[in-house]
Amino acid sequence: MSTVTTEAIRKTVLVDFAPAEAFELFTARIASWWPVRTHSYGGDQVKNVILEPHVGGRLYEVTDDTERDWGKVLAWDPPHGFLLDWQIGEARGTEVEVTFVPEGPGARVVLEHRGFSEGDPRAHYEGGWDVVLAPFVETASKKA
Amino acid sequence: MVTNGVVLDALGDATRRRIFESLQSGPRSVGELAEGLPVSRPAVSQHLRVLREAGLVSDSKEGTRRVYRIEPDGLLRVRDYFDGFWAEALEHFREAARKETG
Repeated sequence: MSTVTTEAIRKTVLVDFAPAEAFELFTARIASWWPVRTHSYGGDQVKNVILEPHVGGRLYEVTDDTERDWGKVLAWDPPHGFLLDWQIGEARGTEVEVTFVPEGPGARVVLEHRGFSEGDPRAHYEGGWDVVLAPFVETASKKA
Repeated sequence: MVTNGVVLDALGDATRRRIFESLQSGPRSVGELAEGLPVSRPAVSQHLRVLREAGLVSDSKEGTRRVYRIEPDGLLRVRDYFDGFWAEALEHFREAARKETG
């Protein structure tokens, strides 16, 4: 399969928390800060967001009547970082990597979302669109 | 310029999503698309117009008929959407990881 990979998304934030504390907040306590109203399937109905802390673990949202997967853990290395397969169902799509490095008394948190490929239409239509869009189109339509 | 909001709004409608998904298996005409959907041809045309304006599909003439296909650059727009998505999510994280001062 020959694909041309488009530029990855790379975001950096500096936080007051040291890496270990920041890692714990980002993962174990993701439900405390994740903006579910705009960044989920269920919006206001979302009761919890869970990231299972091990390779193969799921990242998913919980509502009263269902759970919906957002991704799967491909690598888990606290407090340095983790890697997610950003996916729905069987489709393999993009990857999200989050790393935590010391920065003064706090931490530098770098998020990279990569694998937005172009080139082989079937490859990306069958995987990419479904994976990338499914959780968010519903949210986007609610906001409209 | 097409904004990300336009892209996601275009796919925020269930019928438009079905049309878009139908085009994943190859280019189709309005008539062919309408056959598989519980909506009229004019409605399909209207949905295609929204998808085209969002840069998600393009159309061309083949002989006497007009066919629609998925626009590959659309994925780039999805990428751009996620750029804003992560910026907002991480801002929430940064706030949560703020230590009280004073």
